[in-house]
Amino acid sequence: MFGFFKKKKSASVAKDRLTIAIMSDRDRTNGYPFMDEMKAEIMEVVQKYIGVKGVEIRKEVDGDVEALAIDIELDKEA
Amino acid sequence: MGIVIAVISGKGGVGKTTATANLGLGIAMNGKKCVVVDFDIGQRNLDMILGLENRVVYDMVQVMDGEASLKQALIKSKANENLHFLAASQSKDKSVLDSQKVEKLIAELKKGFDFIILDAPAGIESGYEHTIEFADAAIVIVNPEVSSIRDADRAIGILDSKSAKVKAGEDVAKYLIINRIVADMVESGEMIKSDDILEILNIKLLGKVPEDRGVIDASNQGKPVILDKKSIAGQAYTRITGRLCGQKVDMKDIEVSDAGIFKKLTGMFK
Repeated sequence: MFGFFKKKKSASVAKDRLTIAIMSDRDRTNGYPFMDEMKAEIMEVVQKYIGVKGVEIRKEVDGDVEALAIDIELDKEA
Repeated sequence: MGIVIAVISGKGGVGKTTATANLGLGIAMNGKKCVVVDFDIGQRNLDMILGLENRVVYDMVQVMDGEASLKQALIKSKANENLHFLAASQSKDKSVLDSQKVEKLIAELKKGFDFIILDAPAGIESGYEHTIEFADAAIVIVNPEVSSIRDADRAIGILDSKSAKVKAGEDVAKYLIINRIVADMVESGEMIKSDDILEILNIKLLGKVPEDRGVIDASNQGKPVILDKKSIAGQAYTRITGRLCGQKVDMKDIEVSDAGIFKKLTGMFK
């Protein structure tokens, strides 16, 4: 009966929180090793038609759906 | 040809520089020629831990820029003649490093030493990337604490994408040292267990170092704690460097406190 009220040990809380935080860190930053290269290539293609300031790529996960969100910031001066 | 090992952590203040000093001295005590290089440009600290701060004349940036020869800049440790030290520049900032210069310096060091240990700066900026770029292996230092473990994962991620070995299609070896373990806290479930850290980071264990007040006493004096035979952290570094030098040293379970062992023993007679 007392077990029911027993607080979860903080080390196991740490493990759970870390597992989730690190999983989402990895998705966001190190998801794909080719991210930098892909950014440069996208930039090159768009640059042919319109001035580009920068490219941002994010991996977004929503339930079972995974998507790449690509933001291309245009260069007004170009 | 020597092996190049980068000591990395992501987060600062986890004992990376202390670990570098003790790894270097321990390797030297095993009879191997070893050089430790402080890559923390602008925040020189390894000289203090090694007790060599008054002997620094030239730093590694001056060697890279051709203002001093490597021979002039290398400082021999007072504690062991196999150990040499190359200081970070205190006046410049991290932007002075560039890949070609770093590669040349490391190539030169590889000719003269069995082990080249690089103390990486905290963080994951360019100074860190230059430290890991030409390393054959990395030793990751963490504390059993959430922010340290998370930052270590980021540092490992960059190692896996920016290392020259990885870019050439090879593997860069990675090992973990868990520093500042408090046995009775692990036992009572208030500190994350080593096995859990290894699982989260997906990395091999090189060794565990217990929390030890002797570490501060050692750095006060500029004498790495491995020289103190009674220190439990010093003993841990002796085991770790033995492993690095190819000896088979069993993992000591430092996550059980003396009280815990006593409880286990008394439990046997219940």
